[in-house]
Amino acid sequence: MTDATAVTDATAGVAGVAANGDPASPVRPLIAVGLRFVDQRPAVNPLTGAVTRDPAGAAFAPADGAALEHALRIAAAWSGTVLAVTVGPAVADEALRPVAALGVRVLRVAAVEPAPAGPDRGYLAELAADERALAARLVAAIRTVGEPALVLCGDRSSDRGTGALPALLAHELGAAQALGLVDLRIGGDPPLLLAERRLDGGRRERLVVPRPAVCSVEAAGVRLRRAPLPATLRAARAAVEVLEVPLATGGVAAPVVPEIGSARAYRPRPRVIAPPVGTARDRLRELTGVLDRQEPPTVVQPDSAAGAADALLGYLSRAGYLQPDQTWPDQT
Amino acid sequence: MPDADRVDAVVVGAGPAGAAAALELARAGRSVVLLERGPFPGSKNVYGGVVYGRVLDAVLPNWWDEVPVERWVVRRSTMVMTPTQALSIDFRSEAWGSAPYNGMTTYRADFDRWLAGKAVDAGATLVTSTVATGLLRDEGGRVIGVRTDRADGELRADVVIACDGVNSFLAKEAGLLPRAEAKHYTLGVKEVLALPREVIDERFGVHGDQGVDIEMLGCTAGIPGGGFLYTNAETVSVGVVLSVTHLAEAKVRPEQIVADLKAHPAIFPYLRGATVKEYAAHLIPEGGYGAMPRLYADGLLIAGDAAGMTLAAGIWLEGVNFAIGSGLAAGRTAAAALAAGDPSAARLSAYPADLHRSFVLADHKRLRKAPEVILSERMQQRYPGLIADLMEGMFTVTNPEPKPGMAALLRRAAKRNGVSLRDLAADGLKLGRVFR
Repeated sequence: MTDATAVTDATAGVAGVAANGDPASPVRPLIAVGLRFVDQRPAVNPLTGAVTRDPAGAAFAPADGAALEHALRIAAAWSGTVLAVTVGPAVADEALRPVAALGVRVLRVAAVEPAPAGPDRGYLAELAADERALAARLVAAIRTVGEPALVLCGDRSSDRGTGALPALLAHELGAAQALGLVDLRIGGDPPLLLAERRLDGGRRERLVVPRPAVCSVEAAGVRLRRAPLPATLRAARAAVEVLEVPLATGGVAAPVVPEIGSARAYRPRPRVIAPPVGTARDRLRELTGVLDRQEPPTVVQPDSAAGAADALLGYLSRAGYLQPDQTWPDQT
Repeated sequence: MPDADRVDAVVVGAGPAGAAAALELARAGRSVVLLERGPFPGSKNVYGGVVYGRVLDAVLPNWWDEVPVERWVVRRSTMVMTPTQALSIDFRSEAWGSAPYNGMTTYRADFDRWLAGKAVDAGATLVTSTVATGLLRDEGGRVIGVRTDRADGELRADVVIACDGVNSFLAKEAGLLPRAEAKHYTLGVKEVLALPREVIDERFGVHGDQGVDIEMLGCTAGIPGGGFLYTNAETVSVGVVLSVTHLAEAKVRPEQIVADLKAHPAIFPYLRGATVKEYAAHLIPEGGYGAMPRLYADGLLIAGDAAGMTLAAGIWLEGVNFAIGSGLAAGRTAAAALAAGDPSAARLSAYPADLHRSFVLADHKRLRKAPEVILSERMQQRYPGLIADLMEGMFTVTNPEPKPGMAALLRRAAKRNGVSLRDLAADGLKLGRVFR
């Protein structure tokens, strides 16, 4: 894995790297886009915990749309092909069809569907799998089509993603990574893959990205194009290619699903509190001070400010807040 | 799957009318594309009423077993109001709470998607996020398809069914809606308020999936229209329908009228503690039979709100069932014309004839005078006060004075509200004729 920041000073030789992203290569370079399927309107049964997917809420994050648009533009420049991959349930097909209408090959890695009566072990195993396992599954799916020259992702999903997936994808592929980009384009002579990302203080960093690489982009600068009507009609009823990829793939161990014994409410150990000392009457007296000697309020009307200060000091001395012989700077 | 650029029929708008039309065409074995401008059917919808599904019995047997219902309406209440008084006529039937049911509250985003799904299951192709921007015509002026806002967006079809809602651009382009007169439209404004299910059950006197529909007269600050309140599973919808022209003259914000309605002493107890989830407003075609456009042209049919198929007849306030009924008829007519290979205007003229045989235009024609009477100045501004004053007089105990006679109370209430007994008799006669 190489970080793209290492090639910030444009290495002109990058374009000649013998990867399948080379425009001179007879093989059409493959540009893969990882799309994070998000169900924005899931219904959760409050009794059983069963989740019902809602096709109307099936969507990809705006950043994923930007990644797809970048992929289409770069594919046009490289004469490459675009592959969109997602891991999701069958309801994700509704969101993939408009992507297919853009001339993109779509592939869905089947996610385990929760059982109607509540979570089962397969579903829990999928939940327990971390993003490295997800990256391994995505890479396995992409490699069923070919070795990618470039993998693009949105920099964040709309369901609280960790943002770690692109780096893990780069690790799995042994590719360079350039993450959190605001721009990605082919430019220069010879043509290079140029990226731009934000730095602190409003500055920008421009990168030359070698290939193969994994890039994640922000939802900025580009908007996903709309598919033509004929392609939309063709895609409306087209079947989506589905791939079964096991959770333990590419050297990633199967996730450990925690065994849940009995489910019961949290009951903390009781805290021992010592009983109060004395009788109840004593306790009440202590709390309320009802029989203690009380000094009634006194109204003093001294003639001057100095007299008022003396009256206050006298009171504080009598009450024990001041030593009787304590002296003050202005009294010395 | 249809050809990429030519199909038998295009239905524009995947609301109830469009979905029903596409369903009929697909079942007749025709290639049909259902265009929807929103990301899914129902996503652009605003609706504030009860859906009566009896019209679906013939096409979707036992539809009630799968329809996305919020509550089945078992209580129907009509409320006549002044700012400080309210008279309710409340009817309840347990029969409405079991199959085959009568009316239901539903979220149209769910209902429309369900109905469009039936059309898709039957073979229609649904294309969302696509706006039909115009009609395609041949040299003779016959409609031969639609133009959309997508690239390569021309879609040719033998028949186009425009179900693109109130203020239909396609019907206007076809010359079927030459003038959109503001007096034929009302503005529906509603809020959806969240309340716990058990609170709704308790306040409205229902349980389980039983629901309530309250229609109101006299709650619109003198602007011709009415109010409504109905229960969903865990929300209530409250709002008003206002004459567009009178609202403009009154220079009152519609949301202010809704706020006043929510604060009315007869309504506030239902809504206490509720939180606003949604606010929406939309035009409603309430011109009735006399304001309906021509319903067909060469290669074109119009249905649903685009054709003004909303029945606003005071005690009957219905729209979705008329949209579905007109959509089904349009689909049937188009399928028959396609089978005959003749989508000409002469052939498509069977459509209004079919509607006249069904409830869709039969009800509209019979109640064609209703909008005029219901939205009249006396009905809207004087009779609510007259009725409320009459009731207050009847039920106010005046001891030690003896009880006044009913005739005296009526005269007093009529005088207080500026209604002559001659007007009262004339309007009674008019109402009798309208609803005979």
